[in-house]
Formats: sequence, C-alpha cells, structure tokens
Amino acid sequence: MLKVSVVSPEATLYEGDATSVVAPAFDGAVGILPSHAPMITVLGQGTLRVNGETPARFAVSGGFVQVVDDVVRVVTEQAKAV
Amino acid sequence: MAKGRELVGRIKTTENTRKITRTMEMVATSKMKRASDRVAAARPYARALGDVISSLFNAELAERFPLLRQPAAEQRAAVVLITANRGLCGAFNANLIKEARLTLAYLEEKGVHVDLHVIGRKGIGYFRYVGRELVVARTDITDKPSAADAASIVDGLMADFVAGTIDAVYVVHSKFNSVLSTPPHTERVLPVAAPKRAGAGRDYLLYPSADAILTELLPSYVRNAVYRALVETAAAEQAARRTAMKSATDNAGEMLNILRRTYNRARQANITQEIAEIVGGAAALQG
Repeated sequence: MLKVSVVSPEATLYEGDATSVVAPAFDGAVGILPSHAPMITVLGQGTLRVNGETPARFAVSGGFVQVVDDVVRVVTEQAKAV
Repeated sequence: MAKGRELVGRIKTTENTRKITRTMEMVATSKMKRASDRVAAARPYARALGDVISSLFNAELAERFPLLRQPAAEQRAAVVLITANRGLCGAFNANLIKEARLTLAYLEEKGVHVDLHVIGRKGIGYFRYVGRELVVARTDITDKPSAADAASIVDGLMADFVAGTIDAVYVVHSKFNSVLSTPPHTERVLPVAAPKRAGAGRDYLLYPSADAILTELLPSYVRNAVYRALVETAAAEQAARRTAMKSATDNAGEMLNILRRTYNRARQANITQEIAEIVGGAAALQG
C-alpha cells in the first residue's frame, strides 16, 4: 500500500492509501507502485490518478512528486479535483 | 428632569455601540476560525517544499542559483509591509507599521537604499502621511488571500533579484502563533535561506536533475513564504479585532451600569423631592 497525499498551498486535497499512482511527469506519465525506489520528479501538465479504494483524479500543472518508503507526496501549486 | 433626559440619550447610544461591537466580535470570531484553518492548511505544503529543498541543497549548487545568491553587501533592498485594509482592530496595524519603521531604520542606517512596498489601506495611509515614497501600494488583497495573490506580489521582486537590481527582500507581517500571540515579524525571503536539513539525506532518483528540480521549486518556495505571511496576517487581523471588540463590548457594559445607576438615582431623588413639596404644600394649607 502507498500512503498518498496531494497538497497545494491552499489545502491538502487528498490524503489516504492507494494501490498505485499515475502522475504526469515533465516527460510523460510515471507510474508508482509500492516499494518504488526513492524518487523526486518534476511534474508537467496533465491528470494525476490515484488508484485504490478511494480513487481520485486531479488536474495538475507544475510542482513535483516525492516518493520515499511507500509515501507519495504530490506537491503542486495548481491542482484541481476532476 | 433635564439631567435625566440627557442620561437616557447616553444610555441609548451606549447600548447601540455595544450592539455593534458585539456583532463585530462575533463576525471576527467566525472569520478568525476560517482564517486559522487556512493557516493550518498551508502547513503541509510548506513542510513538503522545505523537506525536498533541504534534501537537494548543497553548497556547490548554491553558487549556481540566482535565487540563492548571497550578495556581498546589500545596496538596494525591498521591504514588503502587509497590513489590514480595515481598522477597529486595536493596535494591530500600529504594531505592524512600527515593526516596518524599525526595519527601515535598521536597513537605512547600514546605507541600504530601501524600496517600500505596502499592502493594505492602513499601512498605505500611514506612509503617505509621513511622506514616504511607495513603490507599490495595493489594497486589492482580501481577507482570503490566495496563492495567486502571493505570486503577484513577489514574482516581480524575484525577477529584480535575479537581475541583480535588488539584493534582498524582506516581508513585514504578523505571525499567528495563537489567538493571543500575533507578534509582528520581519522575515527575509530573498536570498533564500536554505532550510536546515533534517536527518541524513536519502539517495533519491532525480528526474530530470537536481538543478532542474531546484529551478522549479525555489520560486515556489519564495511564493509560499509570501503566501504564508499573507494568510497569517489575515488570521492575526481577525484575532486582534476580536480581542479589541470584546474589550469594547465589556467596557460598554460597564459604562451602561454606571449610567443606569446614575439615572435611577436622579429619578428617585426627583420623586422624593416632589413628594416633599406636596406634603410641605398641604401642611402649609392646613396650618
């Protein structure tokens, strides 16, 4: 299981467990599954998908994703639930 | 009963004033609640940004990033003062203006040329009154500041800093430690002070590269520092207004007690006197 949080300056948009995350990195989609190596990558523009019991989608633009010890943090200035 | 009429008038105005201050107190309380929620909501983002920047940061990188440039000597600095658009909040605006004046005096004593940017009608009013030139004077920031507001304030300053026309940017704002503790505070947002590293750095896979990530994140970090200053000041303003209006309501209550007591005493004295006169008059007729 992944612990996922999606934060923008104004609010925490998502916080919970997920089985996988697909994020729009600067050069294309990046899939994150449990036991992923520690990673930081810059985001581009696109749809962020969080899959699991409470799936969610966000339109994001800019920011970054940090993955460490099955904790995924999506940090972006512009995010909107879709 | 000339005195009595006058007192009735004063009692009425005090009652009306108390009604207004009590309402303002309640409005400020609910606004403060929402504003302090926004302060709390801004924390995870700030923490995440600080974490990542501190884990990527090292001295060698610092040389290459314009936003991390530490000028040898400050020659020209910008001070951004954040105040409220409205008054009736006790010493809140006065404290911020005082803090700004101290910062200005301190910098100017060191021979730094300071550009003053003021946000909020109260600060603008003061510095116009003392005849200081303002580079930016804005009153369009509401009590629900957004990240876009912060960007519009600081983006131009970041560009100037990168271009080398200014050497430092300070923000004067109110901290929101708690409802009762909202001290004014001067924070240097540029050059960026690298956040302290917490624990050992992890070996991250970095895409596309540490440089590219920092290029993206440093401006966000600066914007976020300003955003935090805005939301904390907004929350502090409501807290200050609540305290001020609460003591105004209490004072009005005390004043009403005294006025009512004086009025009743005067009324009773009047009646007693009238009875004494009637009794006296009747006694004179019988005699």
